[in-house]
Amino acid sequence: MRPSAMLQLVFFNVTNGLIIGAFYALMAIGLSLILNLSGVINFAHGGFLVIGGYLAYTLTPYLGFWGALLVAPFLTALIGFAVERLLIRRLYGRDPLYSLLLTFGLAFIIEDGTRQIWGANGLPFSVPVALTSPLSYQFFFITGYRMFMVATVAIVVGLLFVLLRYTRIGVRIRAGTLDLETVAALGVNVRALRSLNFAVGIFLAGLAGVLAGGQLGLEPTMGDGLLMPSFIAIVVGGVGSLTGTLLGGLLIGVASGLTAVLFPSASEAVIYVMMAIVLLVRPQGLLGEEGMFT
Amino acid sequence: MIKKLAGFGALDRRTFVTTGTALGLTQIAAPFLVSARGDAPIKIGLDNPLTGTYAAVGKNELIGIQLAVDQINAKNGILGRKIELLVEDSTSGDAGTAVQKARKLIERDNVDFLVGNVNSALAQATAQVSSEKGILHVVPGGHTDPITGTDCKWNVFRVCNTTRMEANAVSNLLFKTYGKKWHFITPDYAFGHTLFQACEANLKKLGGTVTGNELTPLGITDFSAYLIKARSANPDVLLVLVQGNDMVNCLKQISQFGIEKQIHVAGTQQELESVEAMPPEARVGVWMFEWYWKQAAGTPGLDQFVTDIRKRSNGKVPTARTWFGYVAIHAYALACEKAKTIEAKAVAKTLADMELPSEIKLQPNKSYFRGGDHQLMLSAFIGELMQNGDGDPENLFKVNDIVAGDSIAPSVDETGCKMNMPA
Repeated sequence: MRPSAMLQLVFFNVTNGLIIGAFYALMAIGLSLILNLSGVINFAHGGFLVIGGYLAYTLTPYLGFWGALLVAPFLTALIGFAVERLLIRRLYGRDPLYSLLLTFGLAFIIEDGTRQIWGANGLPFSVPVALTSPLSYQFFFITGYRMFMVATVAIVVGLLFVLLRYTRIGVRIRAGTLDLETVAALGVNVRALRSLNFAVGIFLAGLAGVLAGGQLGLEPTMGDGLLMPSFIAIVVGGVGSLTGTLLGGLLIGVASGLTAVLFPSASEAVIYVMMAIVLLVRPQGLLGEEGMFT
Repeated sequence: MIKKLAGFGALDRRTFVTTGTALGLTQIAAPFLVSARGDAPIKIGLDNPLTGTYAAVGKNELIGIQLAVDQINAKNGILGRKIELLVEDSTSGDAGTAVQKARKLIERDNVDFLVGNVNSALAQATAQVSSEKGILHVVPGGHTDPITGTDCKWNVFRVCNTTRMEANAVSNLLFKTYGKKWHFITPDYAFGHTLFQACEANLKKLGGTVTGNELTPLGITDFSAYLIKARSANPDVLLVLVQGNDMVNCLKQISQFGIEKQIHVAGTQQELESVEAMPPEARVGVWMFEWYWKQAAGTPGLDQFVTDIRKRSNGKVPTARTWFGYVAIHAYALACEKAKTIEAKAVAKTLADMELPSEIKLQPNKSYFRGGDHQLMLSAFIGELMQNGDGDPENLFKVNDIVAGDSIAPSVDETGCKMNMPA
């Protein structure tokens, strides 16, 4: 291969990796929110993603794609809220293994529940025609839909950071991440705070589900392949740091894109290698603080 | 998912515990009895995926099997004995579970006949068990060659075709109509490797070249990096060999990138389950179906079959998978009737080279289990995907040609099968 062609391929894949990374980041930030404040490793996050996608599919005939994009994540968040109230909250204060087991089981229940309701076979989910075509012949992999995805992720993540930085609830969530006991001692209703925070995390999963449905086949196991990269994004970026999670998501996207050019068969393994290196060299993650969850 | 968890270093011990618990629970769950009548029923065990990636195709095979069982029981069963169907979920990819379920069906439930599996690896693993126990076994949907090739066994028969047959069915056509530079997107496991090798061998024989082969991990969600490479290699044809959800994802992304407008997109095996899960714009290319529900008028029994299946699948048409399940049970019943016994060796001998009657084969060409390797000679349905059907939204594939199975199958010698029939 000519060097210029190689260079172009690398450039393509870096850009492409950033696009995919933005998506991983969206999922990972939701996971990270829940992990930080509640100490729950939410294995059912992929399941909530699937619920978001399927709800959007069901709502599209009535609301159109745009309506579904707005409503489905809220409905998913509502389900998440109920799940937190009924199940997850009972396990706070216990060993994290309990909530891990619970969400792990929940993931299976959601997968099979989806299969019962919508059928085992995948469903054809279309995105508006205006978004489906590539922006240019040269950069065929930058489609309107992918740009739209990146823009949505950027807006939502931006809003989330503003919420966490400037609103009372956001400040409480951040404070709770650092020291929940003190926050509770100051009179903040920690139970409500955790419920709300969980719902926000699940909202992001639902949104990721709608966005993923436009790119991937909508089927009950859709979330499985997206869950592990999101966990890795958190570990690489640093547990406890949302900025780190965002960075982690983008990094693993680019890394797997680049490996696909150089060593195609290692493109999936590379993110695990990255995680291993980070854990060895900087166990708290790139932007994580020492002593967090250790 | 379970396999992937192993990579999450910090959670190894927990993962181990959770996975163990989950597996444990599935072991306790009892099979549900589909029919249990008569004094000494003939027991048929199904060890096939009902959960995971292959749940959709596994469930369709189950629907075909149940139809056949009910039809046979309505006509007084096999040799006057009713069939009792025992169903176990093999999972989609866990060979350990599949083998355990096979052992349970054979050793504890004493099944007379075993059916499974959709996944090639699980089919091979469970065939070890059935052959050790001398139980007749039909593989309804695992395509990798060795099952009726180098690993063939006297008790194992296969309904779906081999990867060599798939490659042979479309190679000449693709070469003639689309061109001689081919690029592949191949799933990185046994099925994909053998399928790629078969296609590559055919292409070389025809004088073409392979511009590249992208090996993609099973279950990958994003194909863009591979598609970027494939397009920059500038082939005449892009062959998509991945299956199931991977196929849906890949074709969906191909159509969003507009690649099908620049390069011919095609492949070997295509399944109605996948096509139904794609949005219309992704339904492109030349493919081979192993069976299709809409054929030229006059195929005996076809209309009735479609009607019967619709009643059992929320009005949906049968797929190749439904037919696989249907054929597996009917072929077994027929062989038992002919052999006048259900003793495995006698039935296997009868099944070998037995021609399927028209109401079971449901296709124009002669269809039979070849004696030399126990591979069903089933037709290849070659044609093009249709975006919205021609006036019939359920008809998503235009069948151009139905090629007889024995014209695309390699000879028994070439398969490497050395059949040892016990005396």
